Amino acid sequence: MKLALLLIPACALAQNPQARGVEVFNRSCATGYCHGVKGTPGGAPRLAARGFDDAYISQTVRMGIPGTGMPAFATTLDRADLLAVIAYVDGLNGVTPPPNPFAMRAEMRKLPPEAQRGRELFADQVRGFARCSTCHQADGIGIPVALPFSSVPENVAALRAVATPQIETATAEGDSFPALVLNGSGAQIKLYDLTSPPPVLRTFSKSAVTLAQGSEWRHEGMLASYKDDELESILAFLRAVVKP
Amino acid sequence: MKRSTVLLALAAGVAVYAQDGATHADWPYYGGTHFAWRYSALDQINTSNVKKLAPAWAFQTGDYEGGLQSTPIVIGGVLYLSTTHSQVFALDAASGKLLWQYKYPMPRGAGGNIQNRGLAVGAGKVFVGTYDDYVVAIDQKTGVESWKTAMSDARQCGCSITGAPLLVKDKVIVGVAGGDGAFRGYLTALDVKTGRVAWRFYTIPAPGEKGNETWKGDSWKYGGGATWMTGSFDPELNLVYWGTGNAASDLYAGDRFSGEGDGANLYTSSVVALDADSGKLKWYYQEIPKDVWDYDSAYECVLIDREVRGRMRKLLVHINKSGYAFVLDRTNGQFIGAYPIVDYHNWTTGITEDGKILGRLEPVENKTTLVCPGPDGGKSWNQVAYSPRTGFMYTPSLEICSDSMAREQQPVEGRGFIGGTWSHRAPADGPAYSHLDAYDAVSGKRAWSVRYKYVLLASILATAGDLVFTGDPEGNFFALDARTGTRLWSFQTGGGNRGSAVAYSVNGREYIATPTGWGSIAGRAMVSIWPEAEMFRPGSTLMVFALPESGQ
Repeated sequence: MKLALLLIPACALAQNPQARGVEVFNRSCATGYCHGVKGTPGGAPRLAARGFDDAYISQTVRMGIPGTGMPAFATTLDRADLLAVIAYVDGLNGVTPPPNPFAMRAEMRKLPPEAQRGRELFADQVRGFARCSTCHQADGIGIPVALPFSSVPENVAALRAVATPQIETATAEGDSFPALVLNGSGAQIKLYDLTSPPPVLRTFSKSAVTLAQGSEWRHEGMLASYKDDELESILAFLRAVVKP
Repeated sequence: MKRSTVLLALAAGVAVYAQDGATHADWPYYGGTHFAWRYSALDQINTSNVKKLAPAWAFQTGDYEGGLQSTPIVIGGVLYLSTTHSQVFALDAASGKLLWQYKYPMPRGAGGNIQNRGLAVGAGKVFVGTYDDYVVAIDQKTGVESWKTAMSDARQCGCSITGAPLLVKDKVIVGVAGGDGAFRGYLTALDVKTGRVAWRFYTIPAPGEKGNETWKGDSWKYGGGATWMTGSFDPELNLVYWGTGNAASDLYAGDRFSGEGDGANLYTSSVVALDADSGKLKWYYQEIPKDVWDYDSAYECVLIDREVRGRMRKLLVHINKSGYAFVLDRTNGQFIGAYPIVDYHNWTTGITEDGKILGRLEPVENKTTLVCPGPDGGKSWNQVAYSPRTGFMYTPSLEICSDSMAREQQPVEGRGFIGGTWSHRAPADGPAYSHLDAYDAVSGKRAWSVRYKYVLLASILATAGDLVFTGDPEGNFFALDARTGTRLWSFQTGGGNRGSAVAYSVNGREYIATPTGWGSIAGRAMVSIWPEAEMFRPGSTLMVFALPESGQ
């Protein structure tokens, strides 16, 4: 505390508990790594206008949330500072909410164990680009290059055999490559170049590209990083989340 | 040109310079040139006439949330500027007239810590990274999108692209931010023409790769090592140099430190040298083994050729958040020396002649430890400049400490992974402050120092007019005498300065351009040190200065 007093005139703190709450919050909570000033999101969630009740705020500030980045401040702040910061966070509930953070879906669905394993494999970061979520989105994760799933293959053999008649062969700038064409607008055409994952969304003038039906590209070639039992789990995940 | 520089340098008793890291009419790369000197050979504006410097034009981007932290690129009389939300503008560099604009469609609900620090221009395209981890190429003439490629699902990794891409031959190399979360850093090279990924280098080796043994269990999957600023390139050695971020969790290493292998938690808080064509690791130097202070080393790598103990060496000078400058041999990563650039540094009692960190003061559980510098760093991302005329590196340093406490934490992919808490603290015997210094880039001998009562978070520009330009959060953009540090000129820009100034010329007239506008989480967090920081002005305006036409 003595160090903090070097920064803030001591009299200001003694006379104004609200100012003290702001000061403690800015110093201890709003480093940007955790929360932001005025309860905006930083590395940790937004606090403003969340509708937390007094008891929850008090409990959380004092005891932290085990297993998360939220520490227990009961051991590091003195009583007056604790009360001041709890009152301040309490007051943030009436503040107009800042823009929503662009965060991943809050909590994973309650999925059966195999489907849960499939969800993790679907987006497994260890595989780099060689994962389903490089081109597919399901349950809110992944890059939606392919259209949303409308059905799920029966089994792994069917998954390997998925036909992709929509993939064409594009020729542009002296180069031919497999392409998934989006609707072109006006004189331009947009298509995904599927030469190698990740797909590249490329824009050409219509006159600069020629398209031919069919392609050497095969969906099976994208499955190489997965074993059969892993693909089974991924199918279980898709069955759990895809609405036909 | 080169030869006369050599003779002048010898005569001045400085050192020998064989390379040309200066910009001329253009400012073609993020760091000026691939050597990252942020030094312009232009000298029309100089110590004798700088007091006449006046605004030539200004450009308001309209994208003011988060301030303006960019470095403009100038090529052939056109100035390219990116803003926080990855909007890109092409302007006539002499008049400020808007030629085209590109507005990246931000994902719905985007908010929080959005930043963009610059772009790359070349091969007929303009390259910019985005908040949702895409790399976008825009046609340089028309502003029409040419290609875009997703580096990952940003919602899953909690990562984004904040740094400027680096254009190297036929590839554009892009880093990623997110290393204070449970995330594994990487660098990606894309083909400039097609947008296809040419190579990717993960800053944390996978099982079976050398270096993975320095990680405990599965901790390598979420160990940080973000590459959130921009690297350098030596065309002769064909090596790309990049600094890497802190290890995660930031303050607690108990779950990630294996105690095995050479180094700890490779390749975090390191400089890596990669083959430009293949992305293969050529060498690395880990500046902060087993980082427990959030000492990102993702900052600029300044490439200079200088004499060391009687022998010409190809050097790489690199400052990280620890408040030390590291001097390395850039051909092989050999440690040559390190010197402090901050007054307060208690995390180590010193660094030995062979680079060993002595007397580590590590944050512990259940009790706070006063650590200097704190996680803001002895220097932030804003960049140094190097002048071959003076041999000085101009360095913005911060004197902000922290009360840090470690705490074991389980990682959740893409979520915050600090492993403890910290709060801003002033040094033990006085208030927090910052300073701009001139160091001999190799020996670390300080020639002059200018103190400032708040934070200096704008990059430095040096010119052959023997001027050093930078700005402060109160809105002042100013010029110092490069040899003495004397303030020669200052202009109130109306917005806090947090960007990176550049110099260029069009039709023989020299211009100095600087982004203005305060913002960002780190910028706003300064109110926890100085309540009056609430008054630093937000905005997003490029200010451009020149001498009056009659004054030339």
